[in-house]
Amino acid sequence: MAATLAMPSASAVTSAATSAVTSAATSAATSPFTSATPLLVLDQVTRRFGGLVAVDSVSTSVGEGELVGLIGPNGAGKTTLFNCISGVVPPSSGQVRWRGQPLAGMKPYQIARLGIGRTFQNLRIFPNMTVFDNVSVGAIGREPNRPWSTFAGGRAEAARISAVSEQVLEQVGLAAVAGELAANLSYGKRKMLEIARALAGRPQLLILDEPAAGLNDTETAELAAFIRRLRADGTTVLLVEHDMGLVMSICTRVVVLAFGRKIADDVPEAVKRNPQVIEAYLGTEEDA
Amino acid sequence: MDATVFLQQLVNGLSIGLVYALVAIGFTLIFGVLNVVNFAHGEVFTVGAFGGLLVITMLAPPLWVVLLLVLLIGGFSGFALERLAFRPFRRFADEASLKSKAMREATLLSSLAVSIIVRELLELKFSGEMQTIPQSFLLQSPIALGPVLITDGNLVIFGSSALMLGALQYILFRTRVGMAIRAVSNNVLGAQFVGIDTNRTIIATFVVGSLMGGIAGIMVGLYQGAIFPHMGFEPGIKAFVAMVMGGLSSPGGAVICALIIGVSETFATQFVSDGWKALVSYGFLLLTLWFFPSGIFATRKEKM
Amino acid sequence: MARHLNRWLILALVVVLVGLSMANKSYLNQVAITTMIFIVLTASLNYVTGTAGLLSLGHAAFFGVGAYAAALLSTKAGWSFWFTLPAAGVITAAIGIVVALPTMRLVSIYFAVATLGIGEMLYVTMLNWVGLTRGPMGIRSIPAIELPGAKALGLSSTEVSMLAVALVMLASLWAMHRLSHSFYGNSLRALREDDACADAMGIDIARLKLEAFAVSCFFAGIAGALFAHTTGYISPESFRFGESILVLSMAVIGGLGSLYGSVIGAVVLSVLPEALRELGSFRMIVVGLVLFLSILFLPRGLLGEVSALDLVRRQLRRAPAAGGRRRW
Repeated sequence: MAATLAMPSASAVTSAATSAVTSAATSAATSPFTSATPLLVLDQVTRRFGGLVAVDSVSTSVGEGELVGLIGPNGAGKTTLFNCISGVVPPSSGQVRWRGQPLAGMKPYQIARLGIGRTFQNLRIFPNMTVFDNVSVGAIGREPNRPWSTFAGGRAEAARISAVSEQVLEQVGLAAVAGELAANLSYGKRKMLEIARALAGRPQLLILDEPAAGLNDTETAELAAFIRRLRADGTTVLLVEHDMGLVMSICTRVVVLAFGRKIADDVPEAVKRNPQVIEAYLGTEEDA
Repeated sequence: MDATVFLQQLVNGLSIGLVYALVAIGFTLIFGVLNVVNFAHGEVFTVGAFGGLLVITMLAPPLWVVLLLVLLIGGFSGFALERLAFRPFRRFADEASLKSKAMREATLLSSLAVSIIVRELLELKFSGEMQTIPQSFLLQSPIALGPVLITDGNLVIFGSSALMLGALQYILFRTRVGMAIRAVSNNVLGAQFVGIDTNRTIIATFVVGSLMGGIAGIMVGLYQGAIFPHMGFEPGIKAFVAMVMGGLSSPGGAVICALIIGVSETFATQFVSDGWKALVSYGFLLLTLWFFPSGIFATRKEKM
Repeated sequence: MARHLNRWLILALVVVLVGLSMANKSYLNQVAITTMIFIVLTASLNYVTGTAGLLSLGHAAFFGVGAYAAALLSTKAGWSFWFTLPAAGVITAAIGIVVALPTMRLVSIYFAVATLGIGEMLYVTMLNWVGLTRGPMGIRSIPAIELPGAKALGLSSTEVSMLAVALVMLASLWAMHRLSHSFYGNSLRALREDDACADAMGIDIARLKLEAFAVSCFFAGIAGALFAHTTGYISPESFRFGESILVLSMAVIGGLGSLYGSVIGAVVLSVLPEALRELGSFRMIVVGLVLFLSILFLPRGLLGEVSALDLVRRQLRRAPAAGGRRRW
């Protein structure tokens, strides 16, 4: 019975999102799960690579204050969808909208400046720079950063960047190693650095790309607590993740992809019981 | 420009283009396998030429023996180059470092250093002057093909280039070594997983690429009559340009672009003085990169 | 405190160089002047290649553009050195931007190749546009640097040149230091480390690349003007690919990414060939060998972004909580 209940609500979400989107370009329709405005809307986003359809007409939204998890088995199209959002790869069809504004044609740095921060799954920290300098780059991305301000008129900007960087380092617990070269950090600390750098840009939406990869249970629990704190502080989070446990424990809503298509979009309890989801993950996941 | 001149220039252009092509193929193969620019590749061209000169002056054998010996000299210098300038930097066997940025920078500069040393040594031995090839070996006897005048040098270049390209095609697609080269170019880790010895394959690539470069060198020497220690520089640059234009991973593309460079350069001399003709090749390069930021024949690689 | 250490190093360097000139060996004077010019040139290459990560293989050509700009402005338009100097910088930066604009969307190796092509094209232009540059004959009788009041102080023309070059060198190094040791410099380094990632962090990488290239060409032009006015005669031969490689070697040996490394690299590769003059034709071989060995054993050069000097610096820093950051 739970399974049949899950299906209609999933399609209700999609049809709600689609109708909300087709009504007006700058619709202020509310997200189906909170009364907050949708920050990010994916409208039938499709991405093809030659003959392969990596992402097939996926529609969903992320509302302000939500903690949305995007999961799916390997090859489901999560990374590609993520790249479509962050501007690395344009959708073959469909639209990605931020606060109603289509992101088509925008370069990654422009999208970042809109307030979308992200981390990378394979940890692309800057190895030959210190921890502090790494984090500062996230903050620099939001400032004008002109060359002449190093000679005159840049004090306020520099003060802002310093302040944000220090605060974020405190927040993630890396203040003690601020002067270390990033290349010398342990794996766990590098992960936090990656997140810290994204946070330094003061994002409204933070997209985390498989942050639990390589972490043991204790570390994953710490990460979960950290993400919950982030959300409490006002950051909306989209969690792209392979680890069912983490997603089910903290997300307010879970979107499931399989073979490029969305097969579920619901609260965690409902998704857990969704027969399509169970089938997609059969034999490849631990008990959720 | 009347038809005769056109054909004449076409023949000349194709000749020099084929020479560039032979050098370009070696460049491209080495780049494909190691993801590095071999700055010393122009030098195997020079070494081939000087090696050929030595063979001629010391042994004075028939032409085909000269070419054969130069093949050996070229192959050997490729082997030596790989040992000296590239091998010491492959400290780890995994792909991440095999094609890593730091290693690429290091080998770029080490091959540069080797090329400087080789060039200076040659200058020491032979002085910077032109060395002339003995008259009897020069390939400059004209042959009339209708209204067009070509030299036997052109024929040798066309002939041996066709032979070499054909042989390369055979090696790459019909032998195990060639398959190994293609595999390593494509996916180093995967190639290792199926048991391919990457080190041997890299050596083989250098040998094959360098012997083609060496032959190109001696043929130019025989065709133009004089050689000098810096002669490898321009063909090296043009081969590099051809490789980039053609899309880094495509030897066929490099050949075509090398021919384009050779022909356009030759035709340019009809309109501008000799000095400006280099501008043509570089202009071509920049134009190509403007329209095809990854080369003309590049395989589209999606950024993941 | 360690930062001051490096400033003293440069000061000591300059004092030594100037002191050498006082020893009245005019040959040493010329070496000192050439070294200082190459310090500026190497630092400018290090700025774009070592700090911003854009491998530029045609840098000598921009050196030449600056030299020709200064030479032509002074011989044809009668400008004095103090005007040709900034003009040469600006002109070279402008040409740098113009030729680099189309290459901005190229990645690493393609960009390097494009710079190679650009360098060669500029050289060919210098060689063949005889109407403007007098081609292989070069431009002669470029007026030396004049300092008002120098005669009153009894300074010889060479001493004036040395002083002026030293002044310009220090100013250039200071400017490049300010640019690279700042948050702006961090964005350049992010460009080097991972430009796609920097893009995702909100940094306009296309604009940043252009800026880095422009600044680098500006100082290359400055070095060119210094060269023109201190040697009195320039020809295209000094601005070929080989020179580009020499400057690149200086930057590499000194350590890419380190301004002080550029200074040391330039000194090593300017002084070494002179010191080895007795070896005659073996000189360049030794230079090539030094380059090769340094790559093999010192992959980051002498003072590359991770180095002994850095370790010392970290130790001398105060407790991380307060000192883990630079004061801008």
